[in-house]
Amino acid sequence: MNPATLGRNFITSAWRSYRMAFVVLAVGILLSFFAPHFLRAENLINVLTNASVVAIVGLGMTLAIASGNFDLSVGATAAFASVVSLSMVPHYGVFIAVLMGLVVGAIVGFCNGIIITELRVPAFIATLGTLTIVRGFSLIYTQGHDITLFGDTGYKVLSGGRVLGIPAPIILALGITLVLAAVLKYTPFGRHTLAIGSNAAAARKAGVRVNPVLWGVFAIVGATAALTGMIVSAQVLTANGRLDTGLELQAIAVVVIGGTSLAGGQATLVGTLLGSVLITMLNNGLNLLNVPDSYQLLTVGVLLLLAVALEVTRGLDLRKLLRIGTTA
Amino acid sequence: MTTPSALPALAVQNLSRRFSGVQALDNVSFDVLPGEVHALVGENGAGKSTLINMLAGVLAPSSGAIEVNGKRVTFPTPASAQRAGVGVIFQEFNLLPQLSVAENIYLNREPRRGFVIDWPELYRRASAVIKTLEIDINPRTPVQELPVAQQQLVEIARALSMDPRVIIMDEPTAALSEREVDRLLYLVKTLAARGVGVIYVSHRLNEVFTVANRISVLRDGRHILTAPASEMTEDSVVAAMVGRELLHTERPTRHPGQVVLSVQNMAVEDSVKNVSFDLRAGEVIGLAGLMGSGCTQVLEALFGLRPITAGTVTMAGQPLSLGAPRQAQHARIGFVPEDRKRAGILPDLSVVNNFSIAVLDRITRLLFLSRRREGALMTTYRDKLHMRYSNAGQLISSLSGGNQQKVILARSLAQDCRVLLLSEPTRGVDVGAKAEIYALIDDLVAEGMAVLLQSSELPEVLRLSDRCIVFAGGRPQGELDGAAMDQPAIMHLATGLAAEQGPPAPEIIT
Repeated sequence: MNPATLGRNFITSAWRSYRMAFVVLAVGILLSFFAPHFLRAENLINVLTNASVVAIVGLGMTLAIASGNFDLSVGATAAFASVVSLSMVPHYGVFIAVLMGLVVGAIVGFCNGIIITELRVPAFIATLGTLTIVRGFSLIYTQGHDITLFGDTGYKVLSGGRVLGIPAPIILALGITLVLAAVLKYTPFGRHTLAIGSNAAAARKAGVRVNPVLWGVFAIVGATAALTGMIVSAQVLTANGRLDTGLELQAIAVVVIGGTSLAGGQATLVGTLLGSVLITMLNNGLNLLNVPDSYQLLTVGVLLLLAVALEVTRGLDLRKLLRIGTTA
Repeated sequence: MTTPSALPALAVQNLSRRFSGVQALDNVSFDVLPGEVHALVGENGAGKSTLINMLAGVLAPSSGAIEVNGKRVTFPTPASAQRAGVGVIFQEFNLLPQLSVAENIYLNREPRRGFVIDWPELYRRASAVIKTLEIDINPRTPVQELPVAQQQLVEIARALSMDPRVIIMDEPTAALSEREVDRLLYLVKTLAARGVGVIYVSHRLNEVFTVANRISVLRDGRHILTAPASEMTEDSVVAAMVGRELLHTERPTRHPGQVVLSVQNMAVEDSVKNVSFDLRAGEVIGLAGLMGSGCTQVLEALFGLRPITAGTVTMAGQPLSLGAPRQAQHARIGFVPEDRKRAGILPDLSVVNNFSIAVLDRITRLLFLSRRREGALMTTYRDKLHMRYSNAGQLISSLSGGNQQKVILARSLAQDCRVLLLSEPTRGVDVGAKAEIYALIDDLVAEGMAVLLQSSELPEVLRLSDRCIVFAGGRPQGELDGAAMDQPAIMHLATGLAAEQGPPAPEIIT
């Protein structure tokens, strides 16, 4: 192979593997030219922290999408887990409260899994239904009021704690990425998840127990949604039933922008992290440039459409993309 | 044939079609006269569907000509075929289930008044068409509320409403009960009596001889013969259909051992009944039958993919309960599904991950997969099955059909199965890979594997099986072995010819 082809092959393969990293870097460089404050350490940490909060639920969502499904109920789940968790802090302490928040999230997710596999409701409809139901639960649970923590509570650690100077949300996001990446790559559960997303009928005929795997996937999505919700609540030490509306769209957006195909069968968790950083960074940059909030809404939407359009034009099977959900 | 008094309603000359290197149809010439029923018969893959699709404007011919009423025509779209007077009734219904009978009949040709549909006129016309068929269907009924046989009639009504010169029917009785078949055959004769040319495509020779004036046989994409039905017998048609050479290698002498899998009076859902056989180690039993005969269901039921509703299945004397594939796998039953693309491969996963998906518990240590063990196992089977791939991490979808099939086969073998259920093991693979897969099956059987094989290719069944159970209409029609097992004998049983002496052929439920 001559040096020129070698070089071209290297560039195309590097581009394919690190496409998102290049895009994030390029946008970062652009922003640093136009918005001088962007590169300040304080601002960068702020961007990464906010990106991590979305990334955590995005990581769970990545698993759901890899299995050929998705979950619209994550915002509602996040709110419900937060109100339950915050209300428990005065009685049981922070540790138990956070743990119970995660359990509540996992249970909601598990129920989604049951509805999708056993009642054979497509994921789109099933999680649209639980979205409203779980929102209702939160409002009933709080009777429409805010739940607020007073005084010097340890709950703040979730959002404001630091390890070696790194904010807790960033540590959590990186930790979850590592764990889920290991699960996907090195456990039968992870392999089964990808197999179901790739071809559920074939996975079943190969002996994969499709339903229990999907219960697990949705429980993980629920737990990550709960964690994101609790971090958001910890930032302001308040939770209510209306928290985190629209989180589902953000979560799906960061996964898709990160490069995980909606058709299922493959997943990139690092892509989801980078997708979160990209969106947060753009919003931050537009803020620094004094672009009104209303315009910032456009960026996520345009990015999402671009990401999917590029995915489709790369030769993805449209029919597979249009298939909504996977019922076993 | 082309005297002015009897100009063919439709004629094709030297029609050919290639699909990426495969000659699906090779220089076929044939015609149908007005008022004639011309039957087109041939095995699966003989080229009938290709021919029909070209006459329907779905496929373009690679070369050759089509004439309607002596005028040369081309059909770039299905609509152009319809306009030229060629109506096609496909095996798969093309009806919109939620719409009414009338809407379906006049779909896209609704009578209009200005910009809106003229509903009274639509129903009037639909009623008129239905009346010519001498049937009683309310044109306002949604199609999904009709039984299958009546949906079939709606398809025919739609074709008739276009005032065609030729109607092509592709396996029109596949989904019908015997009484409905009689009715349909009567209808076919009525259509012909009105001067329409009918091309009747069917596997079922007794039907063919009931309605056809002439019979044409296709085999391997070639036109074998055309003759008046009165000059042919069912035996001569079968001989023409199956007369191809078998694959060159011979079935080796087998030495069957103990009974491994014993099936007694098994029924599957409502569609298959009375299945009994004893499968021995080191033996291959073939299941043969036409599409919808129930062979596939038998295999799927034995792998826990369909409920077994009656009878017993025992493995080495132990009764089995087969509610899920997992249970079949525990009983050491392996399965290679019929449709590799839809039910076999995981297209987004690598070769090695496709291979190992069914044996992950065997390569897992303390929760985690051992990639080393996975790779080692893969290498073992790659060598054993002569798989060709450049690296085990490449996507399975990048392999050839033959190599994909070997991966799926290896997936079952890696589970240490004692019984292998093979459904269409060589569909869509090239001749070389086919021979390799046959040799591999021979080796496995020599080592004591018990194989249950289902294939729509009779030469394959004959090449691999020690004995063969022939199915029709969800019932075993008989078992053949030794010298008695040949293609004509199988076709006789499969087309229900032998059943004429026995009890009436049962209803087919699809």
